[in-house]
Amino acid sequence: MKTPSTVPLGLVFSALVASRLLISCTSIHEYLIHDHQLSSPLTSFLNLKEGIYLFNNGVDPYSGGVFRHSPLYLSLFTTILSPSRIIASLLWTLCDSIGAWSMVRIWRARNNIVQSSRDVLVAALYFLNPYLFLPSLAFSTSSIENAVSLLAIMFACERRTSASLLALAFLVQLSLSSVVLIVPIILLLITSPISQLVSPRPFSGKWTQSLGHVFELAIYVLVLTLASTLVSGDFLWISQTWGASLTLPDLTPNPGLWWYFFTEMFDHFRPFFLMVFSVHLLIYIAPICIKFQYDSLYATFLLVGVLGIFKAYLTLSDPGLFLSMISLFPEIYPYFRHPIVTSLLHLHATMLLPLFHRLWLTQGTGNANFFYASTLVFACANGAALVDCVWAGLRIAIGEQVDGYAVTQE
Amino acid sequence: MSSDSPFWLRKLTAINSRLFPRGDANLTRLKRRQALFAAIGRRLPLLRTLLFVAGYLWILAIPTLPGQGTYIDENALLPGQVNTNWNWAEVHAADRYLDHIEKLRDDNATSEQRAKYFAEEFKKLGIPASTQNYTFSTVFGDSSGTNAYATMSAPRSPGVEAMVISASWLSRTGEGAGSLNLRGVSTVLALAGFLRRYSFWAKDLVFVISDDYLEGMQAWLSAYHGISQSNLHTNDLDLSSGVIWTALSIDYPGHSFSHLGMFHEGLNGRLPNQDLLNSFIHISKYSGGVPVILYDYVDHQEYPDQYDLLPSWIPASVRQHPDVKGYLYRFKNVLRHGRYQARGIGSGVHALFHQFRIDAFTIFALPATGPHGFHAIGRIIESTLRTTNNLLERLHASFFFYILTDPDNFLKIGLYLPSAILISVAMMLTGLSLWVEAGWTTSGDKKSTDKKWTRRKRPILHVLAIMISTHLLGVTMFYLVNNKLFFRSRICPVAVMLITAVPPIYAIFIPAASPSDAPLSVVLKALNLCFASTVISITTVLNFSLAASMAILLGIPLSVSPTSSRRARPKTVYYIAYALFGLGWLVLCPEGVRKAVLDWETLGVWFGPFLCIVIAPLVLQAGVVCILV
Repeated sequence: MKTPSTVPLGLVFSALVASRLLISCTSIHEYLIHDHQLSSPLTSFLNLKEGIYLFNNGVDPYSGGVFRHSPLYLSLFTTILSPSRIIASLLWTLCDSIGAWSMVRIWRARNNIVQSSRDVLVAALYFLNPYLFLPSLAFSTSSIENAVSLLAIMFACERRTSASLLALAFLVQLSLSSVVLIVPIILLLITSPISQLVSPRPFSGKWTQSLGHVFELAIYVLVLTLASTLVSGDFLWISQTWGASLTLPDLTPNPGLWWYFFTEMFDHFRPFFLMVFSVHLLIYIAPICIKFQYDSLYATFLLVGVLGIFKAYLTLSDPGLFLSMISLFPEIYPYFRHPIVTSLLHLHATMLLPLFHRLWLTQGTGNANFFYASTLVFACANGAALVDCVWAGLRIAIGEQVDGYAVTQE
Repeated sequence: MSSDSPFWLRKLTAINSRLFPRGDANLTRLKRRQALFAAIGRRLPLLRTLLFVAGYLWILAIPTLPGQGTYIDENALLPGQVNTNWNWAEVHAADRYLDHIEKLRDDNATSEQRAKYFAEEFKKLGIPASTQNYTFSTVFGDSSGTNAYATMSAPRSPGVEAMVISASWLSRTGEGAGSLNLRGVSTVLALAGFLRRYSFWAKDLVFVISDDYLEGMQAWLSAYHGISQSNLHTNDLDLSSGVIWTALSIDYPGHSFSHLGMFHEGLNGRLPNQDLLNSFIHISKYSGGVPVILYDYVDHQEYPDQYDLLPSWIPASVRQHPDVKGYLYRFKNVLRHGRYQARGIGSGVHALFHQFRIDAFTIFALPATGPHGFHAIGRIIESTLRTTNNLLERLHASFFFYILTDPDNFLKIGLYLPSAILISVAMMLTGLSLWVEAGWTTSGDKKSTDKKWTRRKRPILHVLAIMISTHLLGVTMFYLVNNKLFFRSRICPVAVMLITAVPPIYAIFIPAASPSDAPLSVVLKALNLCFASTVISITTVLNFSLAASMAILLGIPLSVSPTSSRRARPKTVYYIAYALFGLGWLVLCPEGVRKAVLDWETLGVWFGPFLCIVIAPLVLQAGVVCILV
């Protein structure tokens, strides 16, 4: 293997971007664009194009129940860009590049260094992760959301408060589930991104600062909401975009856990379980942020992992972001409990998902339960990865195992 | 506890102290866990062997497993509940068509002339008909032909759904070797004239007389479904109809027939819904009076002489035993099924329909001197069509995953799936134990009980690089094989075989691991086994026969590649053995390679690419393990 220090980041990065662009210019997207695993009704490029068409022809796209993208996308694609193939290829490649670049910057901020030999690996793991790569080739807007969330985290690591909060406000506009990330990112803003996992200590930031941040974020969100309302003309967009991830009107299959559950459910239980599923996402915020109060970046990372399992309208990008972010925390690797089991579960899941999807919808010999079973395997794999990261993040504080001593939990 | 207390009390006390020990609860928990893991670890070789043996025995036992009788699950089908009207007048019509077709054959009529004649005949019957020209260009050159088809719109419905009745010009005898399906074609023509007279059709009837063996139907189906295939040149169909739910393919090559054989395997291992097959069997047996067999294997009770297959040194009392013959009969059925399914080629023209989610099978009239002819086959097909006409939704109720051991008995997925899974679990356990072995090393005296375990680094990135490069090599090989030049001379396969020299050369250039790290070979073998196991266990659902073949062929060879240098002295010999095992087919069976390439190009059968890109590289990796030792 080449010694990493001899590989210049700029060269590898541009090579990765170039190859990424080349692949997206082929006709490969025709095979991927309809795939349920790569884009959900909330992130599908086809739905986006339909909405833009309706919008351009003077029809309210939110009146039909097909278009569930944020009005910000509408304004972006009707004024600045057009939703053509070439533009899309360029834009999605740009998003991937922004995401990879943000990862490198987060890595540098965490270690408080100007550059390191690991930069290349961090960038490559973002570019070459199939969970991120394929949705991006399918022009799923989840890639844009990933880039924006990484931007928010990066700015927070670099203490650029306003930029981070603005990115966060955009992120909430684009995908409501991301509210889960608000608390850890604000905590990250008032503490430091440098790794504290080895030496836990009480929260060191100033609480009073966070009030200002919350206020600033509220203003950004309000302004963006007003802008969205201006773009779409009325408030209907709120129930069609934000409301969709709370009320799950579209039960198109995806690799997440919601769709099958609510397909099978009797209607009179629906509101209750919708509440349960939505609140369930929120209950992770407090414990993770309290337990990892000394390392907010790690808390953010774990909450990204929670979103990657339990989010409504999941696409492969969401767990993909979590998996790629593992590359930011090499200090925990020796403390993983079952990395081979997690990898094998992921290997099984990545093979089962497309296979059972095909058995059900193309070949017709399987049924919805097959695909549902594979999404369960996928959720187990993601759960195993998350649990292992939590374990390793806590275990590292105790240090290496010494012969003759055992570590137990009281 | 006194020593004179009864045995059972002492045992109970021991169990009690095991279950509820005194002392630090956490410590005992840890100790218990360690003891459990150690116990499993100690017995792992035995467990692995047991799993392998159980898996292989289970596969062998598949023909004897207590399956269950077939039954019809979809109540709407109502097989055999109608009076059939097909009679001697229709048989006469079929005979007249046969006369014409035999004349066409004797005049050496071209595809186009034949198709034109069929279309004309359909039109004479008052059914809209047309022809379709097609050309497939493959590495073996172009092949073209002309299909004829007719669509009869249903008198009772808007034509949203359709059923297909088809016959190919070439019979499936010898997998399309050249015998003509003249009576099958005459049956389709006579059926068209006959079925048109009735008003109870709720689905459009589409009659297709396809050219060649498989190619014609592939061209017709692609055009019908609007699928563009880069190497197929054809015109759009003039006539269209609804969504096809079921299709029958009629194959009647002989003069008369004694049994109706059923061929049901589709492309890439898909099987039709069992309800369709069971309805046909039911109708044929009880309404038509013709016994049904699987493929062309007659029943062992009727024809015991045909199953005298065992070598003569086995005592006659064993050879002639009805149970042994029954096993051989079912074994032949299962093996035939496995051979079609594993290679993904399908067993007849019906196989092509499966690509488009259409349940279909071939009715094969087993050539014999009697007693059945047009009269029987017509009635059975009429009744079968009336049954499929009853469907209100696609066939879905019955099984899609099954193995028919004989026409009346089948195995559910739960009965045969564990066989391959057991082998794959054994491989996975082998891989995981090697993974653990690679990560830990004992220092100090080996014999002392107080071994000191230290962790060591596993060179995962190097190993992944080797694995990915062998699979990329597989892709390269596939492109080389899928090339015109490859089949020009006999040297090319040997040249492509030389590709196997690349992984060891590549492996040599990997810098030697530091002695504190785990050896490359152990980690490579661990990951290779884990990956192979995953591939096998996942393929079981898609194509059980392929997965079982992989389990049989790869299970032991991948697990026994030597990891200690003492046992692997002639490294290159070991590697060459693995390379021959993985890629020897390139040289040894050129016909198979030819067919696999042709099937991939025309029909999209996945077997060729899968073999090149997944299976062969897995074997090569096992070979590289021997080199790296």
